[in-house]
Amino acid sequence: MGKMKRLMLRNYLWIYTSNSFTLIMYYVKQSFCKMALKQIYNRFLSLPLRAKFIISFLLVICFGGILTLIFGTRLEHKTIFSLAQDKVNHDLASARMVYNEKLFDIRDIVRLNSVRESIQNSLKTKQRETLFKHLSLIRKEFALDFLTVTDAEGKVVLRTSNPEIWGDDQSSDPVLQRALSGKTVASTQITPREDLIKEGKGLAEKAYIEFIPTPKAVPLEKDHEENAMVLKAAAPVMSEENEILGVLYAGIILNRNYEIVDKVKEIVFKGEMYKGREIGTATIFQQDLRISTNVKNENGKRAIGTRVSREVNQAVLNKGKIWVDRAFVVNNWYISAYEPIKNINGDIIGILYVGMLEKPYIDLRNRVMGTFAGMAVLSVIILLIILTVITSTIINPLKKLVVATNEIAKGDLDHKVSTNLKDEIGQLATSFNQMTDNLNKANQKLIHWGKTLEKQVNERTKKIKEMQDSLIQSEKLASLGKMAAGIAHEINNPLTSILINSHLLLEKADNPYVKESLDLITEETSRCSSIVKGLLEFSRQSPPKKVPADINSLITNTSALLENQLKFQNINVIKKLDSNLPHIKIDTSKIKQVIWNLMINAAEAMPNGGKITLSTRFSKDKKSVVIEITDTGKGIPQENINKLFDPFFTTKESGSGLGLAVSYGIIQQHQGHIKANSKVSQGTTFTVVLPIT
Amino acid sequence: MDKKNILIVDDEINVCKSIGRAIQCEQYEVERALSGEEALDNLKEKTYHLVIADLMMPGIGGIDLLKSLRTSFPEINVIMITGYPTIKTAVQAIKIGAFDYIPKPFTPEQLRSVVARCFKSEDEKTEKEPPVTTMPKGIYYIIGHTWVIPEKNNKGLVGVVHDFLKTVGRITSLQLPNENDNVMQGEMCAKIKDDAGYNYGIWSPATGKVFEVNEKLKKDFSLLKKSPYKEGWLFRCELTQFEEDKESLLLSQ
Repeated sequence: MGKMKRLMLRNYLWIYTSNSFTLIMYYVKQSFCKMALKQIYNRFLSLPLRAKFIISFLLVICFGGILTLIFGTRLEHKTIFSLAQDKVNHDLASARMVYNEKLFDIRDIVRLNSVRESIQNSLKTKQRETLFKHLSLIRKEFALDFLTVTDAEGKVVLRTSNPEIWGDDQSSDPVLQRALSGKTVASTQITPREDLIKEGKGLAEKAYIEFIPTPKAVPLEKDHEENAMVLKAAAPVMSEENEILGVLYAGIILNRNYEIVDKVKEIVFKGEMYKGREIGTATIFQQDLRISTNVKNENGKRAIGTRVSREVNQAVLNKGKIWVDRAFVVNNWYISAYEPIKNINGDIIGILYVGMLEKPYIDLRNRVMGTFAGMAVLSVIILLIILTVITSTIINPLKKLVVATNEIAKGDLDHKVSTNLKDEIGQLATSFNQMTDNLNKANQKLIHWGKTLEKQVNERTKKIKEMQDSLIQSEKLASLGKMAAGIAHEINNPLTSILINSHLLLEKADNPYVKESLDLITEETSRCSSIVKGLLEFSRQSPPKKVPADINSLITNTSALLENQLKFQNINVIKKLDSNLPHIKIDTSKIKQVIWNLMINAAEAMPNGGKITLSTRFSKDKKSVVIEITDTGKGIPQENINKLFDPFFTTKESGSGLGLAVSYGIIQQHQGHIKANSKVSQGTTFTVVLPIT
Repeated sequence: MDKKNILIVDDEINVCKSIGRAIQCEQYEVERALSGEEALDNLKEKTYHLVIADLMMPGIGGIDLLKSLRTSFPEINVIMITGYPTIKTAVQAIKIGAFDYIPKPFTPEQLRSVVARCFKSEDEKTEKEPPVTTMPKGIYYIIGHTWVIPEKNNKGLVGVVHDFLKTVGRITSLQLPNENDNVMQGEMCAKIKDDAGYNYGIWSPATGKVFEVNEKLKKDFSLLKKSPYKEGWLFRCELTQFEEDKESLLLSQ
């Protein structure tokens, strides 16, 4: 029954798989509505790459594998079973031959004996003892159940198996009828119980078989079989004149006679056993009743008395077809073949059956399927391994890239992806490395830039400050220039009046007191005049006339004019001039004026003597010449440094306050710059920078 | 000797008065006008020998007055004064025909010396004395003041033109610049004092640095008048911006 369950399970699975497809489609449609598939898809998208690869490949492999398994199994099943059925068909033919052989054996026996002279003569003379003497030996030798002689009318002359009963008419027997007409015939025949009783002692008992209840069989009212199925042959006994003297007929009762089925088993299946069971079985049915078989029941006895299933009954007994299929016989599944057995009139009276135990085929199929499945599993495993290796070659570089991007995201821009792949991933890695390289460079630049930014900002701020200062200074100078022009004109008129009139008074003055006052007036008026003159000079700064000149000799010459005068003030002039300086384009008179102004300034800062250092040198970038005029005077307080170059700014009692402003203007006209550094009580350095070109 | 009529033109009455007081003497009849227009009116009514005019006045300015005087009254000498002196205006004024040019403020003595020179030249004109000499060709000069002859290597020889010297009496004193002194065009570079006691400032014709002074002249001032363009030179200097200076100079033909 376990096999039954397995078969059912298999069928169920098959139905399930074929149904499950429609079922899946239905759920797929439903899922679409519920967006569940999208969720699954989204979850799939969030899986790691390797999982995606493996799941995708697994899906493909499993789909293919399952399909192959299903169709393979079906194909294999069909192939194996059709092979088995072919074989069983063939076996059935062999069984029929064995069956017919037995029938023809009986026919030959009666035919050969019917032509024996002794038999002919004995029958002619009706010498029953002689007949008995000859024929009983034959019956015993060939194990016939009966061997009987009739006369030409069909009346029994002698029954070798039952000599006491004779003289009854057997001419109604269809086999005998044909023999009485002169033919030798053989056929299977149902022989009724009363004939059996006549033919011999114990024959009826031999034929009697009680039915064993069989669930699948067609229900019958009777519960036993008392008739027998007989192989019967009859031959006419002819006189020398070719007249029918009588008929010799013989028969073998098939009921409980296992000779044919065992011979079939012996010949066709060669007695092969499979796990203690005979592989091949053969059965002869009288109608649907098993009367001779080597199918064993649970007790190991021949399973006679059971009946054929309704299905076979219908196909074979009713329709006369050969029925080949698997069938459950007694307690095992067999691959079976049934064919009808007909009597001499062509009526179906029984069934000849051969069956092969299905178990070996099932086992074979299972083995094949197992092998198949094993191979499938093995190939899946191998595929998985290959897949893992292949995905590794794809995913490992990708993982490296991911690690690298993480490293870079963390800020490690020196991280490199090592790869020797030449494919797209290799290219990706190369591009990635290049990208990080560039990123690194850019970052380095950025860092460098960041570092220098502050410096640059400071430098720029300083420059802007300088430019602003210079601009303010320029604006101061420009507006002052305009103002000076106006003021000069206006002031010169009153000055003219004052100067003239004070002079006129002076000319007439005799009183020394008055004269002194007038002297002071004229003196101060002259000073006013010179201030205004300075203002005007300042306002009229004409564009410089630049000629190439040696700045050192210019300084030397200017200094020489002052040196004698300075000696009286205990001031030494020290010159540290760089003789390598090139000629620079300057307005010599204006630059001289500047040097002059600065030297006078320096001298005035040292009323008690000191030293003036004049130095020239290249600027650091060699694009300018730097002139420095340093004194050892009282110095300038820091708060005054920025005002130094303002017009009219002066700390001296006498002085217009224009000297440095004018100098500033001149240096500016030369695209240079001038500045002062001072330490109180240590001295002041004026630095003039003039561009070389 | 007739009195000389002098017209003082300045928009500031105090300046006019002061100038008048400075030059007032028996020989001079001084009148004043407070604008160019008034001056022209005066000029139509009366003959003047000298006009002392301010360069910058509202209405008809000094230069306009000078121009109209040159056309209408060419015989009248004009001395220009200005509170805003530039070499350009000075040279312009002299080119147009001013006798001299005095920047404000000035002393009575300075004014008087120029006025004296002016009348002396006028006297010479009237006496029709032949000129001491004539100016040779190729000399750059400021009319009535000084000349410069450019030499090699941006050097130049500086002297006084004969026109100026005509207006000066016997020279009693001469003050020359020192070596290495800087001189600037239009600025005083030397002083002359004549026997009349007047001091005359001499403008430098060019900008530069003095490197040689005429020592002979220092000993013999008469050389100046005798040979103003040769032995009477004042000094040699390095010309630092002669190309620019030339714009304010004339070239003798």
